[in-house]
Amino acid sequence: MLGLDSHTNGKALRSLVGYMPENDAFISKMSGVRFVRYMAEISGLPSAQAMERAHEAFVYVGLGEARYRPVGTYSLGMKQLVKLAQAIAHGPKVLILDEPTNGMDPPARKRLIELIREIREASDISLLLSSHLLRDVEETCDEVLILRNGQIASISNLVEERRANRKFLELETIGAEATFTSALEGLGCECAVFTNGRIKVVMPDGVEIREVFKVAADKGVQIRRMNHRRDSLEDIFLNAMEQTGAADGRI
Amino acid sequence: MAVYKRKYTPYTGSLTPERSRFFVLTRYAFADLFKSRFFVLLLILSLVPSLFFAGYIFIANNKAVQLLLPTGPADMFSVEAGFFTFIMIVQTQAAFLLNCWVGPILIAGDLTNGALPLFLSRPFSRADYVLGKLAVMGLLLSGVTWVPSLLLFTLQAGLAKGDWIWSHMWMVVPIVLCSVIWILMLSLISLAVSAWVKLRIVATGVIFISFFIPAGLGEMSNAIMGTVWGRLLNFSYLFQIILTRGFREPSRLLGTTGWNEIPVPAAWGVLIFVCLLSLVILNARLRARDTVRG
Repeated sequence: MLGLDSHTNGKALRSLVGYMPENDAFISKMSGVRFVRYMAEISGLPSAQAMERAHEAFVYVGLGEARYRPVGTYSLGMKQLVKLAQAIAHGPKVLILDEPTNGMDPPARKRLIELIREIREASDISLLLSSHLLRDVEETCDEVLILRNGQIASISNLVEERRANRKFLELETIGAEATFTSALEGLGCECAVFTNGRIKVVMPDGVEIREVFKVAADKGVQIRRMNHRRDSLEDIFLNAMEQTGAADGRI
Repeated sequence: MAVYKRKYTPYTGSLTPERSRFFVLTRYAFADLFKSRFFVLLLILSLVPSLFFAGYIFIANNKAVQLLLPTGPADMFSVEAGFFTFIMIVQTQAAFLLNCWVGPILIAGDLTNGALPLFLSRPFSRADYVLGKLAVMGLLLSGVTWVPSLLLFTLQAGLAKGDWIWSHMWMVVPIVLCSVIWILMLSLISLAVSAWVKLRIVATGVIFISFFIPAGLGEMSNAIMGTVWGRLLNFSYLFQIILTRGFREPSRLLGTTGWNEIPVPAAWGVLIFVCLLSLVILNARLRARDTVRG
């Protein structure tokens, strides 16, 4: 990882990693900012810089007002934010977040997801997020690795998946006949016709939706409903779970 | 990541040397300890006997003061190996009490709320962690064992006439060596017990009884089986055997004579075994991974 061998350069590698564990991980009697400073110093920051970064990290995660309170008195959501603060205070290159939104109410969850996206976009930091909440993964990650019984069940590039989804249309039509689907196929689309005028269309690259409307107008077909199919992460996850074999063996 | 910018930026400054990083733990631990009034009181009480010993040394070397005493000048004020053996026994017992209180505070707080994975996910090994905590115990217990003992030795050397210092210089070795053995054993036992039971109060109790219950069981077995080997379970007794031999003193302080005394190598063996056992427990309990079941 990062050009370093984990066996021979374990310490050097760990100095580049920020880790936010799933379970409680704090020293309850320490004030929040002192705890984060402590962790930053253990990561190698000199005392003064650790103090500065701890304050900054606290303000950054939105706990500036509570920084002098003992961590043991924080709510569950605040503890999650403290864990994030200690994970980023030393400026890691890789940030590992294990179930980061556990126990958070919707506004706090939204704020944390925004923070994670901001951290990812603001620097060259690599983010590794482990979660059962697929919505969190969809909102923050580019690539997904699904595990089943310790084996890799699926690896997906969400950007590619989203791009592919944009090319998959579900239509509800009135008056569609074979000539309509033939015309679409003439554009390079693949069509599947169902009852009640429902048609599924896979569009090739370079064909825009506008051309589908144009063909419908030419053939006198009414398009009553058009959906981009959302092949969600949940679908990918369920498909991966249904498959019998592992995609790429044990991790 | 300046506060006013409220934006994440990586850290690009200098880092502290890895070798000395364990001392961060020591520094924070001392800062926390000295916030506790009870700890400060305990520390002061641990040093009170040394003041009495200093007074004794002063009287022993001052004939004018001895004349003021009802008994007058007498040979009872002898500052020799036996006196320093007694000092060491008192101070090491004070160190034991201090250890019972401080040891669990050092580790239990980290383990109770699962902070250990945070330490070990950084460029910080388990050895660094144990070293950092041992340094706290080492510095603290040194402050109530060999440091005051050496200061008393220096005081006696300064007040005594002639070549007392040169004829007694050999005592520096047992003062330091026996203290180090005792400190190491106490520290490892308290850290191991704290890592094992995790709860501070319970750990304090377990450390306390780990010295008395085995000793009691040993004496029971001695009484039933008519042997002396049960004393191998009495760590304080074993330490005192090593201590009295180190000071070339007969075993009168231990209340035993000749044939029914545990051999010194056996005492060493048990203390080393206890230290190794403590290290094994620490190795088993201080793990970076956190297994979540269910």
